[in-house]
Amino acid sequence: MGKKKPRRNSGEGALSITSMMDMMTIILVFLLKNFSSQDISVKSSADLQLPLSSALKAPKTAVNVVVSRVDVIVDGVKVMDLESTTDEVTGQATVVVPEGELKGQLITTLYEKLLDKAEQAKDIGARAGGGEFDFKGQILMQCDKRLPFSVIRQVMYTAGQAQFSEFRFVVIKTRE
Amino acid sequence: MSKGSKRGGEADELNLVPVMNLVTILIPFILMAAQFISLAVIDSTLPAIGAPVPVEEQPEKPPLNLSVVITDLGFTVAGAAAVLNPEGPPVEGAPPAAPAEGEGEEKGPTIPCLEEGCPTPQSYDYKELVRLLGVVKDEYSDEENVILVPESRIPYEVLVLTMDSTREDPNTMVDGAPRLLFPFVVIAGGAE
Repeated sequence: MGKKKPRRNSGEGALSITSMMDMMTIILVFLLKNFSSQDISVKSSADLQLPLSSALKAPKTAVNVVVSRVDVIVDGVKVMDLESTTDEVTGQATVVVPEGELKGQLITTLYEKLLDKAEQAKDIGARAGGGEFDFKGQILMQCDKRLPFSVIRQVMYTAGQAQFSEFRFVVIKTRE
Repeated sequence: MSKGSKRGGEADELNLVPVMNLVTILIPFILMAAQFISLAVIDSTLPAIGAPVPVEEQPEKPPLNLSVVITDLGFTVAGAAAVLNPEGPPVEGAPPAAPAEGEGEEKGPTIPCLEEGCPTPQSYDYKELVRLLGVVKDEYSDEENVILVPESRIPYEVLVLTMDSTREDPNTMVDGAPRLLFPFVVIAGGAE
């Protein structure tokens, strides 16, 4: 101790990094523990709040349809906007698919996009020689929890018309 | 290096600076990739309205056509009336009683909301729904399908919570896991 002190004062003082290293190591371990290689990722925002659920089934990759309160996104590409309005009966704010996009229950823009995706998936399935890559019509649905069922139904109907018949609703796990 | 040599004969302190650099770069990278929420999925098949889709679904009549209608008044649990309710109307509150039959439109919901008009998703009586479906499951233990018929205005969250309630009973444990009720959900077109 007696030897060190005068040297410190004379030279440039060295920053003690050891404690910072300790901290960093703990953070690193914590983050590594949280690190998960889930197949799907969710971009949460004010307009996309996934519902909580006690479901446990792990998600798998599939065509990803995100229905937020403002738009519809298929595999990361925005397909169309949704319209905010007020419910005639309850007078509460709600969301509808714009009239111009609808043909009965079918959402035309979304239908074309999903049909493309189905064709692509089938093509890949055919090239890979079936098996695991075969087109099974699976679709991941990430929907905002406040959306009315009418919008969900129209999206599901449209997906159904585009040969997607297995729906997987993405939810936030509340238990392990 | 120059600093290290200054110490001369003393044991050199480990040079942690490169390690620090590495860790500092690693942390933002892992932070980006870390998922703080874990996700799950709920499976469901095509709703009844998706008509011309090539799915090999034979219209064979299931023995119990259990359906749960979700309205802004509450849940209406219905099934094939003859199967569900052979000995007349169910007794209110009696555990072995079968739930209401299909033609109960004027009777109001089987399970009314906890609050008038169901203003929030939490005001639906999920516990009672689980109990009632548990009673149905007791009688029809082979049955695994349930049809959900939500009204147009019902929020998606209510639909998910209802699917949770129809899937398993968290209060009854079987072999360390919640008892499965009706895990296969079909979402039907629903009432306007």
